[in-house]
Amino acid sequence: MGEQWLLFLVDLLAIFGIYLTLNLSLRLQLGYTGIANFGLVLSFTGGAYVAGWLPVRMGMRLFHVDSSLAKDMIWNNVIINSQINQSLQQNPSMAMSILIVTLLVAAAIGALLGFLSGYPAVRLGGDYLAISLLALGEVLAIIGGNYEPLVGGPLGVQVPDVWAWSLDHRFAVASLANCVMALGVWAYLSAIERSPMGRVLRAVRDNPDAAASLGKDVTKIRLNVLIAGGTICSLAGAMYAFYTSGVAPSALGRFDWTFLPWVMVVFGGSGSNLGVLLGTFAFITLQKLIVSYKYALSFLPFDPVWLQYLLMGLVLLLILNFRPYGLIREKASYATKPNNMSM
Amino acid sequence: MASLIDALTYSALLGLMGFGLTLIRRTTGVWNVAHGEVVTVGSYVTLTLTASLAWNPYLTLPMAFLVCAALSGLVFLIGIEPIRARGASAILLLVVTIAISLVLTAAINIYSDYLQNVFHISAKSFLLTRLDFYLWGQPGILWVSWAALAIATGSYYIFLQYTRTGLALRAMVDQPVLATVMGANARSLSLLSWCLAGGATGLAGCLLPLRFQCNPSIGTTMIATMFAVSIFGGTDKMYGPLLAGIVLGFAQIYGIDLLSSWIGPQVIPYKDLIPMIVLVLTLQFLPQGLSGFSRQRG
Repeated sequence: MGEQWLLFLVDLLAIFGIYLTLNLSLRLQLGYTGIANFGLVLSFTGGAYVAGWLPVRMGMRLFHVDSSLAKDMIWNNVIINSQINQSLQQNPSMAMSILIVTLLVAAAIGALLGFLSGYPAVRLGGDYLAISLLALGEVLAIIGGNYEPLVGGPLGVQVPDVWAWSLDHRFAVASLANCVMALGVWAYLSAIERSPMGRVLRAVRDNPDAAASLGKDVTKIRLNVLIAGGTICSLAGAMYAFYTSGVAPSALGRFDWTFLPWVMVVFGGSGSNLGVLLGTFAFITLQKLIVSYKYALSFLPFDPVWLQYLLMGLVLLLILNFRPYGLIREKASYATKPNNMSM
Repeated sequence: MASLIDALTYSALLGLMGFGLTLIRRTTGVWNVAHGEVVTVGSYVTLTLTASLAWNPYLTLPMAFLVCAALSGLVFLIGIEPIRARGASAILLLVVTIAISLVLTAAINIYSDYLQNVFHISAKSFLLTRLDFYLWGQPGILWVSWAALAIATGSYYIFLQYTRTGLALRAMVDQPVLATVMGANARSLSLLSWCLAGGATGLAGCLLPLRFQCNPSIGTTMIATMFAVSIFGGTDKMYGPLLAGIVLGFAQIYGIDLLSSWIGPQVIPYKDLIPMIVLVLTLQFLPQGLSGFSRQRG
């Protein structure tokens, strides 16, 4: 029982770290700058695809895996990965090198996706930008689900286990790494919040016309924030792929990787990092509990996992009705005036 | 020939869906993400009545219209109006529709599980082509989908053009404050537009399983295409989404078929990228959509 709880806690922390990173990216875009990015899944998927494509090719070269297997990387994916994983168990420095290079490439791809998805509609702003981001969020899922050489089509591929060297502590180490990434993003946002850039972002959010009249290039600032947000989302996607040791395009849907983060951020409060943390923790715990105890509800004539969606939607509706700024409100300052309905 | 029929049917249905989405956007300023789930509800009304009561699928059209109109009206009254009345922004209202989309997705999946597990109706994936009739050698869905589009468009046109309520609705769309000052009841008119939009979308959902494989997420997966239709068509004129639905539907099915005959069958799975490409090009070069284009030329 005790070990089961420990596993539950470790997995909870790992997923919490991933979602917190993703949600802080939304906080940067929505909370600071007023960009309603409904396409978080795009960059997240981009990062996961990088982790599904690059490390296995790096591992093959670094560990001299039988090159004849490279003729069909997808068909031979399991064999290649098992050989790479054996080498990674003995070689933590190589594993960390693969991790760092992958994260760097994922960050670059995420930035590119943030730019490409935002560019067409960023000058329109508002709900047009939101809707176009939502629609474009699907692009990579369509490509990845159909183009097998990328990440194996809808069923996906395995990812080399860069945490294999930590042996029995593999999940604990991976969870810790996910939480450290989230802490890093938190520190980055806190630094922005206290800098002149933070005030510029809030000015763009609260009154873009006034910001433009003061010489700020609103379109460029929004695009830069989308690029930064895309970078963070992509890092989360890559770390998620490393944690689960796999990438399956069919598991990278809009509900889990765009709508769920929105529910968490709106619930906690998009105006506060702490609110985002609380919202993320509450929903991840709820989600994990429902998934863990769904067998206790097996007498129901439907899959109990849908109760999670039902609950999320209802909670979001209640929050929007009775506390639209979330659990924690944005701190008022001389420069900003929090507005309940300003989202 | 089969792909031409697919394209014609899909175009008409996409036109109906886009019409509903644009009507809501025009009258209440809301981009309704839950619109996809309304389509799915329309499909499940048809499945339920054909599987349990052995109704002819075309006889379920009025029922699908009524159920989806009522659902859409409820969404407006319970979800949108209380928050809109407090001056919520367009983005916040969009988030409300996401919440509603989550609730409806769960409800649809619970319902389909229930149909399958309790009544043993194949509800997780269904196609009702076997129930269709043939006229002049072509499936009935081809004629009925276009007839539904023509009747819906014609009746909405007559309603908006020649009735007092329609006039008030148009006034509210163009000048909401002035219309309210002149005595138009904004709340009732908004409710009416949500019901009409839901009804039109329900018709599309009802006809969908007669030609295309349906499942609990059929509407959800089509929402990005619906947005592309609405933005490509433009929200200025109600004929915009109809025109855009026809163009995109043809491009997505018949166009990709033609392309595959030139390039190869490997392009077929990417047909869902076409609406995204059209969306990007529209936002870049014609942000007001097709109706904006006609206005500029006029």
